[in-house]
Amino acid sequence: MFENQQIDQLPNVDELLFKNIRKAYLKVVLIHYLLFSGVLLTGFFLLVQYKLQEIFPTYIDGIYIGLLLLFLLILTFLIVGFYRRKFAIRERDISYKSGILIKKITTVPFSRIQHIEVDESPVSRIFSLASISVYTAGDSSDDLEIKGILKTEALQIKEFINQKING
Amino acid sequence: MDNTHHFGKFSKQSPKGIVVIYGNLLYKIFKTTWVLLFILLRQFLKLSEEGVSYVYLGIVVVLGLLLFRAYLVYKNFQFKIANNQFILKQGIFKKSNTSISFDRIQNINFKQNLIQQLINVYQVNIETAGSKKTEIAIKALSFEKAEALKKQISLNTVIDAVPLKGNTPLLKISFLELLKVSLTENHLQSLLIFVALLIGIYQQIKDVFKSFGRTDNLKTYLDEGTQVLYGNIILFAFLFIVLLMVGLIGSFVRIFFSHFNLSVFVKHQSFEINQGLTTKKTIVLKKGKIQNITVSTNPIKEKLGISFITFKQAVSGKVAKKKNKLIRIIGCKTNQVIKIKELLFNFKKLESEEKNLVDSYYKTKMYFRSSLMIVLFNIIIYINTENIRWFFSIVILLPIMVLLIRLKFKKAFYKLNDDLLIIGNGRVETHITYLEIFKVQNIKMKQNVFQARKRVVDLVFQTAAGKIKIPCIKRKKALEIYNYTLYKVESSTELWM
Repeated sequence: MFENQQIDQLPNVDELLFKNIRKAYLKVVLIHYLLFSGVLLTGFFLLVQYKLQEIFPTYIDGIYIGLLLLFLLILTFLIVGFYRRKFAIRERDISYKSGILIKKITTVPFSRIQHIEVDESPVSRIFSLASISVYTAGDSSDDLEIKGILKTEALQIKEFINQKING
Repeated sequence: MDNTHHFGKFSKQSPKGIVVIYGNLLYKIFKTTWVLLFILLRQFLKLSEEGVSYVYLGIVVVLGLLLFRAYLVYKNFQFKIANNQFILKQGIFKKSNTSISFDRIQNINFKQNLIQQLINVYQVNIETAGSKKTEIAIKALSFEKAEALKKQISLNTVIDAVPLKGNTPLLKISFLELLKVSLTENHLQSLLIFVALLIGIYQQIKDVFKSFGRTDNLKTYLDEGTQVLYGNIILFAFLFIVLLMVGLIGSFVRIFFSHFNLSVFVKHQSFEINQGLTTKKTIVLKKGKIQNITVSTNPIKEKLGISFITFKQAVSGKVAKKKNKLIRIIGCKTNQVIKIKELLFNFKKLESEEKNLVDSYYKTKMYFRSSLMIVLFNIIIYINTENIRWFFSIVILLPIMVLLIRLKFKKAFYKLNDDLLIIGNGRVETHITYLEIFKVQNIKMKQNVFQARKRVVDLVFQTAAGKIKIPCIKRKKALEIYNYTLYKVESSTELWM
């Protein structure tokens, strides 16, 4: 009676056709990164110029090379990681996968969604991109957020999920 | 019951509430200023007679003002029931108006602290899963009025007032049993709580000293104290015994204060839990609102046949910060545990099933991480002390590490049937978590590069009461569970809360 025969026919999340996020979002990622590291590097440069140079002048070149390598390493991770960000929407749930060193896949059933948010950051607005976040009950830090889809698409998805929840 | 309490119009608390509010105000002020008061007291002895009378006058004025404030708080605290909602007005200057619809109410708890017990009033706490702001505490109601309020709200929800099967409790803990429970607690944890308390007090004292610019005094005093301790083996042994005693007494006090006279009643849709020594608490726990339960025990408790059950309910925001929202029944006998599980889930078939162990990669991962920790620990110690002697600590640390990892690996398992997921974990203690699959909020599969080589993944179930993880199981198996969980959640029509 309580046997579980259906397991073979269950829809498989592994066979889902995942969609890439918008290519243009890579520009947003890079602009964010350049701004961030730019500020940090300028800060460090000023610090070296005015304070640290007397203390360890011999290592200065090495430190700059190290920083450059770190910069490039993070850059590669960002770019490779960008192509790993994918999402899929089914009749009853939404999935998102990402990650290079740690691969993650999350699925949120529509019936458990508490609310949905569509956000635009100043930079992504230039490319008319937005992000969509869905929140479930409980600790919301681990819910699902898809960054870098067209704003119109985000609103469509939001509308679609809302319809599914209420209908 | 009493028909005089309708709650249709706004009503205040019992006038005795002023005493309770006053007591709370005094307590709060004392708690933040006790160090200062202590210092003032010393200065006070040096004062002239005239000065003394001024101080007395000042104290009287402050106490009087606080009493007036307590009165205002009381006067402005009004509540009523309308349209299946509980409505509360409060605030002296900043008025606030809160309303909670009945079906959002998670618990209605009664509580009595020492003052409330003395003047025979009950505090009624109304808890929701929402933010802290919407939690309501009515400080003083007569027992009849409190019961009437509970009943009014219960009429419209699943909170039921009458215990099932008369008045025999499912579980009642005698003094002796409580003693047993407290002796078998984790004393290390009690010790840590005590140390944290001490650090808190030390910080408070330091803050005050700092504001007087006299930290040096305190510091030299403490340094001298630690100097004496250093390098004296007998003192170390003595200290060890003292700490052990502190831990023991700590567990004892902790358990006795919060769980004294524990009794659990079973009702149609809920459990009623009564406990507490100085603060008596009555908690009504609705079955539907329970997200998951954990049955825990440790080796000594297991020998005595007792375990404790932790009930988790929905919380918002960071779960870790809301430890006090956990409801715990201690000292359950095996048959009582079974009874509670039976009341909550259809678990029978699953219990007899074979345990699914996690992949042996889990063990490898733990060995790797712990070894790294030990190496780092030794390097740091060596850099700081430049003393080879410390490397011998490995002789002690290594066997402990191996033992703990083996235990942890052995205790990690999962079982799954149509409706229920059972997950075991723990090192010295054993925790077994029971989760109804349809209560899962979202599900996540994680795999790092090392795991990818072994084709294993971590599976994380997010519930409204926090995360539950199955570490390192084969990807194929995990995928089946993943798909099945989604199927179960998406096809379920039951309310998860």
